[in-house]
Amino acid sequence: MSTGKSLEAPAQQQPQPSGSPKAGGRFKRLLTTENLMLAPAITVLASITIFPFLYLIYASLMDFALAMDDPTFAGLRNWVRLFKDPAIAQSWKVTLIYAVVGLGLEVIIGVGVALLLYATPWGRNIFVTLWMLPIFVAPVVAGLLGWFMLNSSYGLYAWVLQLVGINTDIFGNVATALPAVILIDVWEWTPLITLIVLSGLQSLPSEPLEAAEVDGASYWQKLRYVILPLSARIIVVAMLIRSMDIMRFIDTIFITTAGGPADSTKIIGLRLFEVAFRFMDIGYAAAIGLSMLFVTILLGQAFVKVMYGR
Amino acid sequence: MAKDKLTTRKIVTRVLILTALTIAMVWALLPIVWMVLSSLKTEAGMFSMPPKFIFKPTFSTYAFMFDEGNFGQFLNNSLIAAGSSTVVALLLGTFGGYALARGNYRGKKHIAFWIISTRMTPIAAAIVPLYLIFANFHLIGSTFGLVVAYTTFNLPFALWMMMTFFAELPPDMEHAAMVDGATKFQAFYRIALPQVAPGLVATGILCLMFAWNDFAFASVFTGHDTQTIPVAASLLVSQTGIAWGQAMATGTVIILPMVIAGLAVRKYLVRGLSMGAVK
Repeated sequence: MSTGKSLEAPAQQQPQPSGSPKAGGRFKRLLTTENLMLAPAITVLASITIFPFLYLIYASLMDFALAMDDPTFAGLRNWVRLFKDPAIAQSWKVTLIYAVVGLGLEVIIGVGVALLLYATPWGRNIFVTLWMLPIFVAPVVAGLLGWFMLNSSYGLYAWVLQLVGINTDIFGNVATALPAVILIDVWEWTPLITLIVLSGLQSLPSEPLEAAEVDGASYWQKLRYVILPLSARIIVVAMLIRSMDIMRFIDTIFITTAGGPADSTKIIGLRLFEVAFRFMDIGYAAAIGLSMLFVTILLGQAFVKVMYGR
Repeated sequence: MAKDKLTTRKIVTRVLILTALTIAMVWALLPIVWMVLSSLKTEAGMFSMPPKFIFKPTFSTYAFMFDEGNFGQFLNNSLIAAGSSTVVALLLGTFGGYALARGNYRGKKHIAFWIISTRMTPIAAAIVPLYLIFANFHLIGSTFGLVVAYTTFNLPFALWMMMTFFAELPPDMEHAAMVDGATKFQAFYRIALPQVAPGLVATGILCLMFAWNDFAFASVFTGHDTQTIPVAASLLVSQTGIAWGQAMATGTVIILPMVIAGLAVRKYLVRGLSMGAVK
């Protein structure tokens, strides 16, 4: 759990030998090697992110249809609509369920597997290697795979389900579509939680565990009073990363259900996609995008705080 | 007696752990294995019930995709788009990351926050303004536009990762070189850069993977001639009829290089995927 230490290091660093520029005006003092090395990155990053961000704010204040010639000023109309639109509320609800149920399962299974790997007598390396493979799968391929496995007429998993009497079009049924896309997310990303937690477990200080052992603690007591409390921070890091990713990606659901049936899997990112590219209502899409960005920024702020440890 | 009992218990525990892990591995791997197997079957053989795990493999689906379809072209498009954005991100990110690690910049926390929230911006939210800007410059359907889109997440990533790698190096050797007359840039280039080479490679591979695996950006920003393989894969199942054989073969081609590259840098994988929060 060596987090953030390296970030603090530069601040405590001793003064640098050639760091003092010769006298020669403010501008010259700005031309340090560091600034010259940093400038291209910051310039490019700013122009491809800050400019679009400002453009997004502008668009959210306009009546802006893709088909229209000139956008007209709309004031806060898009924003008011955002808070009144039941479709948006529905999408946030789906997003929340997707995040809470998916992340909940990922944390439970992911931490469980990490503890098993931590305790396994042999083969940890091989198990870890195999377990991490889904992480490399492109989300859109994960969606294709989930669809292929659960396809009612010839999917391998659907075949197993039919053997036990479950016979339904899984992605076409309101009751099963959301669980199915959540399970695809769980399949792909539970290993990431495991990897993060396992690397925390492997760097646990040995003293508290040894002390617990001397006191005759059982495995469950050690888990409850030593291992889990010491791993809490890293589990939070993993959850924040995953939450931001859940806001970030739409690929898996886009390919499997495209948000259907009856909007039961339409997470907020997909709703934005539909508003922008099917209804061509760019102004409204921009407002939705900014509201998503706002949530990501809150999560990012929490993440930076946890990372710096204060 | 007591000792015997303990040993039995230990054995039972071990068997239980290994059984649970085996179940987890089957759950993780079965879809991938099934995809690869299906891509090696004939279209008719794919759907035989009960499913077949032992069969005579054929590469006819792959041969068909490369010979009859534009598959080679899509592969090329993916490589160019992902590769270019990786090169740009690494180049700018390495210089910038070194400067951030060594320079005395105030408000590092704010820079960290800006970089991370840029990296984590929801793709759907980023697509809207980029689409409008690209439309203005007639970049919709161009590979250049896609490279710019990929750079919006790869550059902050590379900048951040390289900063953490450089920050871990003790600056003493660079200082010694500068005392001996090297310029600061020479100290960076000759002393610091070679030491972070493994980190640089890992960062590059992860950038490549993020761009290679993208679907949402590519589905909006590419046209018929510039389409990447994930988009090609999606079109196989959304057009009339579903070509599952080709879809599975395409999926295999998408994930195979990433599995190999990813495992090659697995030591840095967690660090990369957690934005450096976990090492």
